[in-house]
Amino acid sequence: MNNDKIVISGTNIHKSYDSFKALKGINFEVKEATCFGFLGPNGAGKTTLMKLIYGRNNRDLNNSNKLDVFGYDPAKDPCEIKAITGVVPQDNNLDADLNVMENLMTYSKFFGLRKSRVKKRIDELLDFMQLTEKANQKCIALSGGMVRRLLIARSLINNPKLIILDEPTVGLDPQVRQIIWQKIRQLKKEGITILLTTHYMDEAYQICDKIIIMDKGEKIIEGKPKKLLKENIEKFVLELSPLPKSKLDKYLKDIEDVRFEYEPDQPVYCYSENFKSLQNISNRLSSDDYVIRNSNLEDLFIKLTGRSLNKHQ
Amino acid sequence: MNVPHKTIRIYSSWYRHLKVYSKNFFSNCFPPIIEPLIFMIGIGLGLSQYIKSMDNLPYIQFLAIVLPLAAALFTAAFECSYGTYIRLEYNKVYDYMLSGPLNIDDIFIGEIIWTGTKGFLFSAIVAAIFLIFGILPLNFDILIIPVLGFTTSVMVASVSLIFISFIKNINQINFFITGFISPMFMFSGTVFPLANLPVPIQWIINIFPLVHTVQLARAIYGPYPLHFIIWDIVYCIGFTLIFSYIAIRRMKKIIIK
Repeated sequence: MNNDKIVISGTNIHKSYDSFKALKGINFEVKEATCFGFLGPNGAGKTTLMKLIYGRNNRDLNNSNKLDVFGYDPAKDPCEIKAITGVVPQDNNLDADLNVMENLMTYSKFFGLRKSRVKKRIDELLDFMQLTEKANQKCIALSGGMVRRLLIARSLINNPKLIILDEPTVGLDPQVRQIIWQKIRQLKKEGITILLTTHYMDEAYQICDKIIIMDKGEKIIEGKPKKLLKENIEKFVLELSPLPKSKLDKYLKDIEDVRFEYEPDQPVYCYSENFKSLQNISNRLSSDDYVIRNSNLEDLFIKLTGRSLNKHQ
Repeated sequence: MNVPHKTIRIYSSWYRHLKVYSKNFFSNCFPPIIEPLIFMIGIGLGLSQYIKSMDNLPYIQFLAIVLPLAAALFTAAFECSYGTYIRLEYNKVYDYMLSGPLNIDDIFIGEIIWTGTKGFLFSAIVAAIFLIFGILPLNFDILIIPVLGFTTSVMVASVSLIFISFIKNINQINFFITGFISPMFMFSGTVFPLANLPVPIQWIINIFPLVHTVQLARAIYGPYPLHFIIWDIVYCIGFTLIFSYIAIRRMKKIIIK
């Protein structure tokens, strides 16, 4: 498939719930068979945007805007989009009374899939998500990780071209997170376009080809994760335990190329392109209570949006 | 992948309800079948010692013809009030159905027809039990009862969905059950005829959908003028179409934001 073909594009997307403005003019473009991530804190508008894309909710139509998903507008043809899309929600919305197999069979009926083909497809999906032995298990008895894997399996039943994953690894243990990331990479290799929302920066860095960082319904920044880091934040970070400002001034004396963030009684962050400068600071410390590491998306996010909670978080 | 045909989409919604309901079938079917039987045994057998006949029928037969419809009434009332509200607010069922290529009207037409299916089934079962005990006559007219059960359930389902679209918490369903369903059961010509009530009240009561299916059921024992039969049929069809339409629009308004 063509890796430069744009399959989803949104121009000037607004969404209000009564008087609350959840999205304030979002623009984005997604290429086929890529993984596109929407990052941001809770309340940024990520889930809202996902729901507009597959027509679960309707965007504001009172100003000039456009939303195209594989050639369809979700305000006009949501079913066309949903026929080729798999949705993995944040919440567990499996049918609790049914077991794993029955949930998948019932869901397959929505797509009008032939029963003979469906059984085979379900077996493939259970195998893909490592749930084969749980086929007859009631959904109530599944662990959090299994529920999430089942939701992903369910979303693949119609061989979708697009998958939307809303916070796919929230609350999961590290091994399950790794498995899910691995499966997402596999799906991308098979040509499926992936939209992902997350507030885990490591997740975005690991699996997204391109990301948008959102806050309060607006796009803050957009780009490839590695490039964003390179162009927008210093390469290294020194983390220090809380200390008085006077001491910090002493440690930073005569060191030029360091940007720092200081709040009383909070850990101190010193950023620099120059590893040696940070090392020089650490050598002045009286204890080993520090870390020098590469900066990551979380540092970038906080640089862009600040450390205090906003009113929607 | 194409969007499946509308009938397939509606069927898939109906199928989902069937599948979940049958998981707990025995506990689910217990009230709609047993309640009318208890009513018949208690009120029917008990009162019939004192009331020899009503509307030229033995009181037990007077009741027997409509208690199957009561089964349909109550099964629909609870399915589309508590059932729908729990699906909507707690289990997020409509959320997951909407991630498939289904519209709101596919989902709720399927739900209304499913409720009608239950009405059909339970009114048939209750009528069959009365048949076995010889309380209902064994003739072809009886076959109309499950059809009337379906119709009753579908009408009640539509009203119920409209009500649910307005409430803010599950307790407010009490207003629907006690404020609408119970009065409708009592005052639709079920346990006593309406003919001797004051005429203005009769007019008001004729709004109740159950009145019309009860009248059609009683026509089995006849005589019942043809133009009244036609009027009742027209009313049922019109009520179903209008209130289902409103119900689906209301559900769309509250679910698709």
